[in-house]
Amino acid sequence: MIYDVRQVTTYRYAAPVATASHVLRLSPVDRPGQRVLSMALDVEPWPAERSEARDFFGNGLTRIALHTRHEALVLRTTARIDVTPPPVPEPEVTPPWETVRELAWASADLTPTAPVHHLFPSRRVPVVADITAYAAESFARGRPILASAFELACRIKADFAYEPGATDVTTPVATAFALKRGVCQDFSEIMIAGLRGLGLAAGYVSGFLRTEPPPGQERLEGADATHAWVSLWCGPRAGWIGLDPTNAMLAGLDHIVLAVGRDYADAAPVDGVIIATGDHALDVAVDVVPVDAPAASGPV
Amino acid sequence: MTGRAPHEPDLAGCRQALIDGYRPLPGVRDEMMDEGGAVRPHWLPVLDGLAALGPAEVGRRFQNADRYLRDSGVFYRLYDDAAGVERPWPLSHLPLVIDPKEWQALASGLAQRATLLERLFADIYGRGRLVAEGRLPAAAVAGSREFLRPLVGTLPEDGTGLGIYAADLGRGPDGRWWVLNDRTQSPSGAGYALENRITMGRALPELFEQLHVVRLAGFFQTLRAGLTSLCRSVDSRVCLLTPGPLNETYFEHAYLARYLGFVLVEGADLTVRGGDVHIRTIEGLERTDVLLRRLDSDWADPLELNPASRIGVPGLVQAVRSGNVTVANALGSGVLESRALLGFVPALARHLVGRELEIPNVATWWCGQPLEREAVIADLDAFVIAPAFEPTLPPLLRSGSVVAAELDAPERDALIELVRRRGVDLVAHEAVKLSTTPVWRDGRLEPRPFVLRVYLARTRDGWAVMPGGLCRIADHIDARAVSMQRGGRAADVWVPSEAPVAPVSLLPAPGHVPIRRNVGPLTSRVADNLFWLGRYVERAEAALRLARLLAARAAERERRGTVTTRLIEELLLAWEVVDTPPGTMDLIRLSVRALNHHDAQGSILALASAARRAASVIRDRFSPDAWRALTELEMALSRTVPADVTGATVLARINQALRITASFAGLAQENMNQLAGWRFLEFGRRIERAINTCRFVRQFGVAGAPDEALDVLLELADSQITYRMRYVMVAARAPVLDTVVLDSSNPRSVTFQIERMREHMAVLTTRLVREPTSPPERLLLRLDSGIATLDASDIDMLDMIRAEQTLMDLSDAISDRWFTHRGEADETP
Repeated sequence: MIYDVRQVTTYRYAAPVATASHVLRLSPVDRPGQRVLSMALDVEPWPAERSEARDFFGNGLTRIALHTRHEALVLRTTARIDVTPPPVPEPEVTPPWETVRELAWASADLTPTAPVHHLFPSRRVPVVADITAYAAESFARGRPILASAFELACRIKADFAYEPGATDVTTPVATAFALKRGVCQDFSEIMIAGLRGLGLAAGYVSGFLRTEPPPGQERLEGADATHAWVSLWCGPRAGWIGLDPTNAMLAGLDHIVLAVGRDYADAAPVDGVIIATGDHALDVAVDVVPVDAPAASGPV
Repeated sequence: MTGRAPHEPDLAGCRQALIDGYRPLPGVRDEMMDEGGAVRPHWLPVLDGLAALGPAEVGRRFQNADRYLRDSGVFYRLYDDAAGVERPWPLSHLPLVIDPKEWQALASGLAQRATLLERLFADIYGRGRLVAEGRLPAAAVAGSREFLRPLVGTLPEDGTGLGIYAADLGRGPDGRWWVLNDRTQSPSGAGYALENRITMGRALPELFEQLHVVRLAGFFQTLRAGLTSLCRSVDSRVCLLTPGPLNETYFEHAYLARYLGFVLVEGADLTVRGGDVHIRTIEGLERTDVLLRRLDSDWADPLELNPASRIGVPGLVQAVRSGNVTVANALGSGVLESRALLGFVPALARHLVGRELEIPNVATWWCGQPLEREAVIADLDAFVIAPAFEPTLPPLLRSGSVVAAELDAPERDALIELVRRRGVDLVAHEAVKLSTTPVWRDGRLEPRPFVLRVYLARTRDGWAVMPGGLCRIADHIDARAVSMQRGGRAADVWVPSEAPVAPVSLLPAPGHVPIRRNVGPLTSRVADNLFWLGRYVERAEAALRLARLLAARAAERERRGTVTTRLIEELLLAWEVVDTPPGTMDLIRLSVRALNHHDAQGSILALASAARRAASVIRDRFSPDAWRALTELEMALSRTVPADVTGATVLARINQALRITASFAGLAQENMNQLAGWRFLEFGRRIERAINTCRFVRQFGVAGAPDEALDVLLELADSQITYRMRYVMVAARAPVLDTVVLDSSNPRSVTFQIERMREHMAVLTTRLVREPTSPPERLLLRLDSGIATLDASDIDMLDMIRAEQTLMDLSDAISDRWFTHRGEADETP
């Protein structure tokens, strides 16, 4: 499936910003299961310094520095992406989760796609005893890893209320867990915390869902903004498999990856340091339209 | 040394008295005494030396040592203390003496370990062969928070990522030394070791000579040379990057920077432009390419590392990546401190340095491996369980490690469950029984467990070892709490030698600040603090003079305020030195209140504290004497005053405080390097003094002011003697104003301040400014012409208001021009 993706991120500052440095993760890149056919990231105002790179996890990274006074920063991503998800193994025939755990612990791989990076507490996702206990209910002894994890994703969808505004990007995962509500970032980080508490390797994925569902299907939660889901290492054979606890589904044809990492902090679309006195307002608009289908919200 | 002493019998008796009752703890090795109760030979000269001095003299020497430490402002900060209190450095007065032969073996073993660790460091962030070949589990690396992924691939391949390394050592009952911990993040304490040494050298000089204790200065020369050699150009300077004055070891950062001749910088002093790191100085941006890092890596760059950091340098990682700056230790070096690695280092030794470890580390098993994990669970009571990567792991390991055998049944079960579920987070190691060394308590010696930290510096040809170190001694017999944060003490470490050692010192004689003619660039932050320090001290002095007038009147039994007294009270209220309306308080109480009222923002105590705070941020620019003057001022002001205090007592106290401010001014004048930094301090003083004098004129010199008020004005301007010599008459307005405002020979006149400011401005701007006239220059010119054209006989209060306003604008303009770099973002460096 080929998609046209458009994301416009706008920061408006209460007081003009004199100087700013940012690291942007707003450029989709080729990954297993997706190919970027074309991509542009426009920055307004025009930055004094700009360079492109990849971060440790292979995400597209843009470094910008602005030395002129500005009251707004507009970041516009336009991309055409071909999504061909790799086949997912039958959940019930994946290896027992304890086996996968031992393999991850003993792994002799420190490269960016290795499971070891996702075994430990990270900046935003600590190991929380309560969340581990919650997750453990789906992980009976010897149960296949993907079957257990999928059940966990379904339980999160069932037990937690999807409620934009109940949390923000800084809400600690333990707080969201206690609130029993939140958005895709919270659901994903709760699931990651639970999986890591059990000793499994779980990572964070940020990306997009198609905006309008195919005819006859329901619109997915999180389709009008950037989305987030979980990537679980299921052993050397199956590798990384995406699970979307917000929609209780496996990541597939509708999921377009923007960035991956241990948690939101690694995959944050915009990191930055600004010299300013005032507050700011943030607006993110996302539009994902299949190329072969008529665009619902006008031509891209 | 012992055999030929003429008073041998007495000495032996005195020595015996020293060790009377001293016994090693059961099953524990003691450094000074063997199991049979005999003193080890290398300690005999120390005991004999103490015995020869006699207990009274020893006590006196130790007291002097403590006073010296206090006076030099040697402190460390307690983190868990809500107020963030600075504690005087707790020095144990007895050194730890190490046999020179034994030291040779230690030095060699630690150099081997440092070499091993730098190779391990390079491999982890480089090719990753140790992991790929199965010698080191990937998770044992990835579990560390200090494995900083953005730094992968940025380390020099030759393994020179570590500039300084320290090891914590303990000695077991069998006499073997063990490495307990590796310190690679940014080892602290070398500066304290140096202070310990200087203090002990002053306390027991004859012992020091007699034992030929190897000196430390050579090590610091090596460290300095090693880092300086990394500079890419001759005129670039090494910076010591500190988290700032709130850090527990900030004193050491400032001390080392001064001692080594490095520029002490905080993150905000540095900026990355075009991939290069620059220091923000009063002369604009200045490139730097070597940073001695005392800031934990993760906080060093909010753009690519911890985004919550406000103390880092945005873009530093990218500058490192581009090869434009060398950071020592390289960012990410903390990964080597993981306990998990202790389980693998012994086996890696053969591979990385081709030999077995010369000094073992504490036997450790990482519980991420199935065989080790099951073995640990099977024999749990034999082990201490500790977090593999973190300092603590609540709830079970909330205070660090636990001795499994000491747990109750539910805790034990919970621990086993934890090892099974997340063994990757844990290590098991053998319990360590530390040896003891004597401490001096209440006039006698007692054994206490200790940990020895030894420092190594990287040179072009390998590792150099500091001949000594930092000995940290527990406060209790229980060896598990060896921490300066938990009430422990520190001791100097002596390695005696056969031959006399040549004195080498990088340190100037005490009391004299400058160590080099070129003290390096002045950072904007330092200049800012010096400027405000000058203003605060001057304002404190002005307020003291006002308070003195009140106290003097009170001492003369004046209770009811005259018109002039009222004017003084009004000004004190206007300056927020006091918060009571004029005429409502007894003069004695009011003058006491002016000194140290806690709720008044502008009380003299508050001003003295503000001055001390400004100075604390720039302590490396200060002579210990000037610093002492500031702390003394604060102490003198904060002393409690008895309820029945007399005017004379208050007066004496105020005079004492004024003497301290005068001595501070003298020290700044005489002892500070008269480069740009001193000029900013001076500038602050001059501006503040000019403002205050104008204000005094407005308060006490209005047309028709009573003679008494004019007298007050003369006294505030310290000009009575001059006036009386010139005019044999009572105070008259025109000549008084001429003396106080216009007379350029009077060091307190407004004109005098302007002339000094013009001199400073000329020096600062000819050297620094490119534009024809900058705003500060223009304001100063305006001020000068405004005052110069005044006629003493018709000075208008409006003239004074105008001058005060211009002075305040000048202060802002100086701040904009030199401190905040407003507008500099648009300049291309």
